[in-house]
Amino acid sequence: MLLQMERITKTYGDVVANAGVDFTLEKGEVHALVGENGAGKTTLMRILYGEETPTSGTIRLRGEERTFRSPEDAIRAGIGMVHQHFMLFPSFTVAENIVAGREPRSGILFDRKKAAEEVARLSAEYGMPVDPNRRVADCPLGIQQRVEILKVLYQGADIIILDEPSAVLTPLEVRELLAAIRGLARRGKSFILITHKLQEVMDVADRITVLRDGRVTATVRAADTDVEELSRLMVGRELVPFEKRPARPGEPVLEVQRLTIRGGRGKAKPLLDGVTFSVRAGEIVGVAGISGNGQSELIEALAGLRRIDAGAVRLCGRDVTGADVRDIRRQGLAHIPEDRYRWGSAKEESICDNGAMGHTDRAKRFGLLLRGRVRRLAESWIDGFRIKAESPDAKAGSLSGGNLQKLIAARELAHGSPLVIAAEPTRGVDIGAMEIIHGELLKRRDEGGAILLVSSELTEILKLSDRILVLFEGRIAGELAAEEATEEEISRLMAGVTDHADRSERAHVAAYHG
Amino acid sequence: MLRLITDSLRGLIHPLAALLLGLAAGAVAIAAVGGAIGETYAEMWKGAFGSFYYTTNTLARATPIMLIGLGVALAFRAGFFNLGAEGQLLFGALAAAVTALYLPAPPAVAMIAALLAGLVAGGIWSLLAGWLDLKFRLNLLISTLLLNYIAIYICSYFVSFPLKDTSGSAAINQTNMIDRAVWLPKLFKGMSVHAGFVIAAVAAALLFFILRHTVAGYHLRMHGSNPLFALYGGVRRGRLMVWAMLASGGFAGLAGAVEVLGTQYRYIDNALTAPGYAWSGIMAALLANSHPLGTAAAAILLAALQTGGMGVERNTEVPLEIASVIQAAIILFISARFMHALFKRGKARAADGSAA
Repeated sequence: MLLQMERITKTYGDVVANAGVDFTLEKGEVHALVGENGAGKTTLMRILYGEETPTSGTIRLRGEERTFRSPEDAIRAGIGMVHQHFMLFPSFTVAENIVAGREPRSGILFDRKKAAEEVARLSAEYGMPVDPNRRVADCPLGIQQRVEILKVLYQGADIIILDEPSAVLTPLEVRELLAAIRGLARRGKSFILITHKLQEVMDVADRITVLRDGRVTATVRAADTDVEELSRLMVGRELVPFEKRPARPGEPVLEVQRLTIRGGRGKAKPLLDGVTFSVRAGEIVGVAGISGNGQSELIEALAGLRRIDAGAVRLCGRDVTGADVRDIRRQGLAHIPEDRYRWGSAKEESICDNGAMGHTDRAKRFGLLLRGRVRRLAESWIDGFRIKAESPDAKAGSLSGGNLQKLIAARELAHGSPLVIAAEPTRGVDIGAMEIIHGELLKRRDEGGAILLVSSELTEILKLSDRILVLFEGRIAGELAAEEATEEEISRLMAGVTDHADRSERAHVAAYHG
Repeated sequence: MLRLITDSLRGLIHPLAALLLGLAAGAVAIAAVGGAIGETYAEMWKGAFGSFYYTTNTLARATPIMLIGLGVALAFRAGFFNLGAEGQLLFGALAAAVTALYLPAPPAVAMIAALLAGLVAGGIWSLLAGWLDLKFRLNLLISTLLLNYIAIYICSYFVSFPLKDTSGSAAINQTNMIDRAVWLPKLFKGMSVHAGFVIAAVAAALLFFILRHTVAGYHLRMHGSNPLFALYGGVRRGRLMVWAMLASGGFAGLAGAVEVLGTQYRYIDNALTAPGYAWSGIMAALLANSHPLGTAAAAILLAALQTGGMGVERNTEVPLEIASVIQAAIILFISARFMHALFKRGKARAADGSAA
């Protein structure tokens, strides 16, 4: 046995993050660690990686008892970790990033040429092609992840921890990643894979350990289980089968006409190029696309957070082109933002304070903030969305990602606004949270709300949307009705493979009049 | 409520530990210059709080520091770095002096008008930096800092030439003496603490209330905590900045007005810059992590170190500079987040949500 973690317990005050967790890993094994947000997966791995010390329990590496006081310790012992959020220097080259901290030298100088050679050798050895001299900022996310893995391998890791590795990848990149993991495992590397995505787990893992509320609920061989059983073990109950009635679209709520945003200085290509579409009351329009094809710009422009260079936006019949956030929100927009930490919350402030944003108009008298009313709102969301929170006064940053996302969704849906922009509404959240957020979005649609769903997750697009737009390089590459859309077809449009100008025009007209 | 209390107590641990470490560092400094540690600290305590007279003296010195600190804290909480307290203080003081001297009005009206003039003058000088940011994207940190120098020389010019008191000796550049009836009343007969201290204390309570219980204060805090979150929620940065800078500078201007009307009774060149009120005020805000009540308390602490240091100099061989050494050491220990790094590592991690 390569690694044995025995009876690991970690408590923070009254909060138990891990309770007597056993976990083992063999050489050449891929062992997936699954569980909802807050189940204790990340804590367990931080303990292994030396970022946390366990309250009790032992770690044995190759039979020898070890304690890791810092990541540096763990790395020296051959344990590497690739975090969910990449930790790369974007303006440095691939090779510079990989060797950072362990640079080959000539004398006192950094030997850049040798670094590139070593990286090329490493990349060939493990069958993970990268261009050592390319700047990381210019690499797609799939390559950046490869760089992260190569960095860990360069550091001499035998055990590689991957935290939510597929969260930001396209379907094709995910397939490549899974193949790379299998390839490295065959060469004797061992993997611990933290993820929510059960299908990927079934595809790549040898064994699976399920955590719930800090405890191991099961450790099973992948061959002996299936996705249904795993989700049951994770959530602790049967999932409600998803039902979606056909949409009954009404009047257009959002009308976007030839929306254009020019590229930054020196960039000829516009970020958004003449984008035209509409979202009607009672329908969910999904915007699919590989991230970086104009989705962020589209969302920010519609929300009033970015200047529009040309085109027009109408919301509930009124022209809101160039209006500021406050006016657009008053006119009828609620917005679940793409990045819950960057836009959606203030981590250091309380849950109440985070919940009050945008709701101050109905919780004020003579300019005073009615804290009691805000608190009752927050409490109702905590109940209604089953948010796991210590109290409404706890810092928003103390919530797990999924619970913070539920808070943000609850806050935005509570506006009851005609239009909801839901951008990556379930990125990195667990099945339970996803079920709730999807259910609430659908409920809003059935009540006559217009929803613009922007997601890089194809399954989410296909599950919720009534119509699907595909963005490619700032243009709408195609529009499909939900019934006739297939994953393959969307993937092709996402990659910009075929010329759909003609067809999308027809589809658009059809959807408009149909 | 209980939570509120335990939270504020927990917030006190760190500054108190830094205070003790600062005093320890000061002890080393005292020993190094050959002083007796115990005696020096005893003299220091006496100089600051040893008698009713010394206590009121300390509070008088704390008054401008409190007001300045509150203004700086307000700007910091909104996410704006206002380092221009000195210039705002001077313009406030000059405007108050001019109003008190030349406004043909009954004394009570003149006094209130002078206080308001100070507030407005400081606010407008501060707003200038805000406007430069909004219009030309000039970094606030730099503009507020540099505007200090402009303010110092402009004010210096006014009291050296057009407003100069030519009746007495020509050695000092100062305005005429303000009429006694316009002075801020003393709180106790024969003591230096004046009504300005009450104004400062009320201002602290008011700022605490505004930040916690008003919509404007809420938006301000959110902008300070994560500006993008505030923008996303519909908070208008430009408007927020205008009001925050105006209020922040207003506090410093009021400090100048209060100092002129309550202590100096005229605008004297260098009299407000030499004691370093503005920088002490910024320190007070930093010490208290921009909490309004904490800022007021920290201002009194800093004033006590200064008056205590004077006591030490009066009665021992230890020089006044030792008090500055202690003050500097305390600031260093606090800004180093010493406790944080050493003891709260695990705890902080748990709190930032990585327990997931």
